[in-house]
Amino acid sequence: MSVAACLLLYAAVVGVVAPRLLPRLTRTGIAPAAAVSVWLIVLMSVLVSWAAAATSLVIYVAHTWNQPHPLALGACLAALRSAASGHSGVATQAGLALVTAAVSAFLLGLAILVGRSLLRARTSTRRHTESARILGRRIAGVDGLVIDAPQKMAYCLGGRRGTIVITSAALAALQRPHLDAVLAHERAHLTGHHHLLLAVTRALATSLPRIRLFTVAQMDVARLLEMCADDSAIRRHGPTALLSALLTLAGADAIPSPALGASTVGIVARVSRLAEPNTTALRLRANVLLGAAASVVLGAPLLTAWSAASSTFSACAFMP
Amino acid sequence: MGRGFGDLETVVMDRLWAADGATTVREVLEQLQRDREIAYTTVQSTMDNLHRKGWLTRHREGKAYLYTPGMTREQYSAQMMRDALDAGGRSDLVLAHFLETISAEESTELRKVLRRNGPRKGVQ
Repeated sequence: MSVAACLLLYAAVVGVVAPRLLPRLTRTGIAPAAAVSVWLIVLMSVLVSWAAAATSLVIYVAHTWNQPHPLALGACLAALRSAASGHSGVATQAGLALVTAAVSAFLLGLAILVGRSLLRARTSTRRHTESARILGRRIAGVDGLVIDAPQKMAYCLGGRRGTIVITSAALAALQRPHLDAVLAHERAHLTGHHHLLLAVTRALATSLPRIRLFTVAQMDVARLLEMCADDSAIRRHGPTALLSALLTLAGADAIPSPALGASTVGIVARVSRLAEPNTTALRLRANVLLGAAASVVLGAPLLTAWSAASSTFSACAFMP
Repeated sequence: MGRGFGDLETVVMDRLWAADGATTVREVLEQLQRDREIAYTTVQSTMDNLHRKGWLTRHREGKAYLYTPGMTREQYSAQMMRDALDAGGRSDLVLAHFLETISAEESTELRKVLRRNGPRKGVQ
């Protein structure tokens, strides 16, 4: 039971610290792939902690439920009973059962919300892909479907076979090397399965919009994945081609869209890192910092769980 | 759904957008048979699917259905672009845009970054 308390406390600390600290560490996008990994580790560790806490509570309550005799609860309850002195063992049990039910219900609700959100995403992505397939033209030498539209746009859709969509206006505006850089960027999203990560982080953020960890994670991961795709495009086509492409598509006549106040992916940071490449020393520093963050996030619960589990186990070993 | 079947939907829609007025399955079949061997039932089920998915409208005349595209190609394209642009503000369509719309503030910042780096060869 103390394991559950420790895990919930750990998840709460990570939930408060990570959304403040991680965006600061990843802002310049020096090591975007490593930064995405750290975000995933943070999200997974919080979700796993919640699930593990619920499981350990359920096991504990189930284990003690059939042994209502206070003596039979053994050493495991000793700490709890001394803390809540005056309460009978039965009342404590009832309280614990209530907490367990609440935590389990919360997790079940979250799983349902996230699952639904992912299903919705799959349905509308399929529908959009179908539109692209029916409306899009295939042009030799262009790795994508071309849609006749006045907006200068390029994007990709996940799915079994990923689809790249580019508008005729974007195609007309981009010079050949710049177009190749754009298509390489989109292809990198698809080969890296970025849409899956985006779908999951977005599902979490929309399911629990009040929890900053998830809303910040969603925005930061989206931004970092753009930088990962940029890096992949640069490796094949050079930073100049990609920078030119960004500027062409972000030109004065860029898409007017009142719905979106600012781009969530941070064009300025993307352009800055293309225009001013980072030094090896800076990259090393970023990797070390991110590695340290990951170690703390991973190490803390493992250590706590291990020490708590071993002490619980030794205490419970004497139970009849 | 196989790849060939998907392509057939594209071909059928192209024919119907090119046709003037309502078209029967038989008419589409005859056009398609000039280029390839294809069965009536294949064309029929393709057009039935397109109707179910909202690409075609139909009404019965005598024994056969007459099909027309729900909207023009341009209208569908415009709708698709609207969906793609909206995706940033919605949760259900997950797209990775090469570049989302930029704000005036960002545009100013952008110019600053580029000024700082001076004019680069090849960058417009």
